[in-house]
Amino acid sequence: MSDFLGFFAVQITLIAVVLVLHTYLGLHVIRRTLIFSDLVLDQLAAFGAMVGIGLGIRYGTSGSYWLSLGAVLIGSLLLAVAVPRDKRIPREAVIGILYAMALVISLLLGDKLSGGGDMVTKTLAGAMLWVNWPLVIVTAAVYILLAAFHYLFRAKFIALADPGSRLKRRRMWDFLFFTTQGIITVLIVPIAGVLLAYAFLMIPAAIATMFVRGWLKAVFFGWSVGLAACILGLTASYHWNLPYGPSLVLAMGAFFIIAVIIRSMLPQAQGAGGGCTS
Amino acid sequence: MTDLIIMAALPFLACLVMLSILGYVGLHVLKREVIFIDIALAQIAAVGAIAAHVMYGIHEDSLPAQLMALGATLLAAAFFAVMRRKVSVIPLEAIIGVSYAIAAAGALFLVGIGTGGHSHIQDMLSGSILWVTWHDILVSTLILAGAGVGFYLFRKPFHAISDDYEGAAAAGVNTLLWDFLFYVLVGVVITTVVRIGGVVLVFCFLIIPATVATMLVSGWGQRLLLAWLTGAIAAAVGLGFSSRFDFSVGPAIALWLGLAMALAGVGNSLRTRSRRKVPGPPGG
Repeated sequence: MSDFLGFFAVQITLIAVVLVLHTYLGLHVIRRTLIFSDLVLDQLAAFGAMVGIGLGIRYGTSGSYWLSLGAVLIGSLLLAVAVPRDKRIPREAVIGILYAMALVISLLLGDKLSGGGDMVTKTLAGAMLWVNWPLVIVTAAVYILLAAFHYLFRAKFIALADPGSRLKRRRMWDFLFFTTQGIITVLIVPIAGVLLAYAFLMIPAAIATMFVRGWLKAVFFGWSVGLAACILGLTASYHWNLPYGPSLVLAMGAFFIIAVIIRSMLPQAQGAGGGCTS
Repeated sequence: MTDLIIMAALPFLACLVMLSILGYVGLHVLKREVIFIDIALAQIAAVGAIAAHVMYGIHEDSLPAQLMALGATLLAAAFFAVMRRKVSVIPLEAIIGVSYAIAAAGALFLVGIGTGGHSHIQDMLSGSILWVTWHDILVSTLILAGAGVGFYLFRKPFHAISDDYEGAAAAGVNTLLWDFLFYVLVGVVITTVVRIGGVVLVFCFLIIPATVATMLVSGWGQRLLLAWLTGAIAAAVGLGFSSRFDFSVGPAIALWLGLAMALAGVGNSLRTRSRRKVPGPPGG
């Protein structure tokens, strides 16, 4: 029983730490409709790890992390640079194509690696069950540094989300934004898998965007709802011996569907919308 | 060489069949900014089929399983149509993106409590277009032709909503009903073609030719022609590439579509730059 509690405590602590920055970045991603950006970075992190396997570097080792980071930095650069000037083409379309290409190079590489197909599935599902205290501490330290960075330059990043703002060096700030998103991706994907990492980013932020104005309030609201959903999902997964990552995503998904239904019954004028400040 | 042509003929034909309708639907998808719709609907349909397999032990390709896939798609179509109208504080793309995550987790969940799902996920991504049969092509052509007739008959409200949702609603178009029908037709198209081409190739056929065409020409007709042409060339080159270097066909064609997109993007930005550099008329 105490084993179980210890395990549970490590995982909940990790999720609680991870959710703060994910919710905040998710708010940006949703307000700017860059929904596919996270999948691009997730998939590139997985691709970097796959390249490592091709070179004989084991998944989850530090060499594998560095390769993922390299792939993710290239991805951040492409995300920042590949902005269509033509207004008829939504930026999301270009990002979606980048995602498809990241997936394509992973699948093509999978063709040439032995057991490459399994690898693609493995990176989707993740292995949160490996989580231990040293990993939580490293992850927490990196997350705190990144959160401090975002707090210091919050005016710049929030200006990015406002199309009317006259931010100088927009591309550089975009690159830095995607880089922070990429770094947390590299840390979280081997643990949580592509799908859960994406859900951490999107679902709490999506729920918050529907009900709360202001960045700080939205982060707090999204974090609380997300954490509550994760505790519920984790408990259910232990209690009924259900698959781990999918249970967490489904728990958050259930909260999202309830939130969407409540929102659709409320009058339209309220809620966050674009261009919020706090 | 002739062997290659004979082996590639059916997959190429399958590509043309898929492209004929995806090129058109892609133009709508770009205008509505619902890029995720294809991956989400494919995933939702897959959950329906997997659920039928896990709950009733029937094969995922059997008719009852396909009907359950269709049921899941209809539910999603209704959900997206209602949400577009009722929840405007958050982009529909975000709702579709989250629905994808939920459906993908649902599939992994069902596979985790069932058995033998890993190869299924890989197959669903890559597809098996190389093993396509005349029977597959005939059945999908019939279904897609039916959907195509639907798109043609309802083109007016569909175009009106894609061009300007609020404007169409103000002009008295029943956006809820037409959106539902639109997403149902898209769902039928996607689930039909994903079984042949796999998620990755279908996504690329949907988005890339339409983006290339939107970038280079204007008007629905011209764009459709250019989208078809781009897709057909990439399919031919990709098939040759995959056979020469022994890669999966779907991802190989998708790669060449991506290269076509990059080429079009660079070409377009050079064109706009050279236009800017052209000096104005004397004294102007």
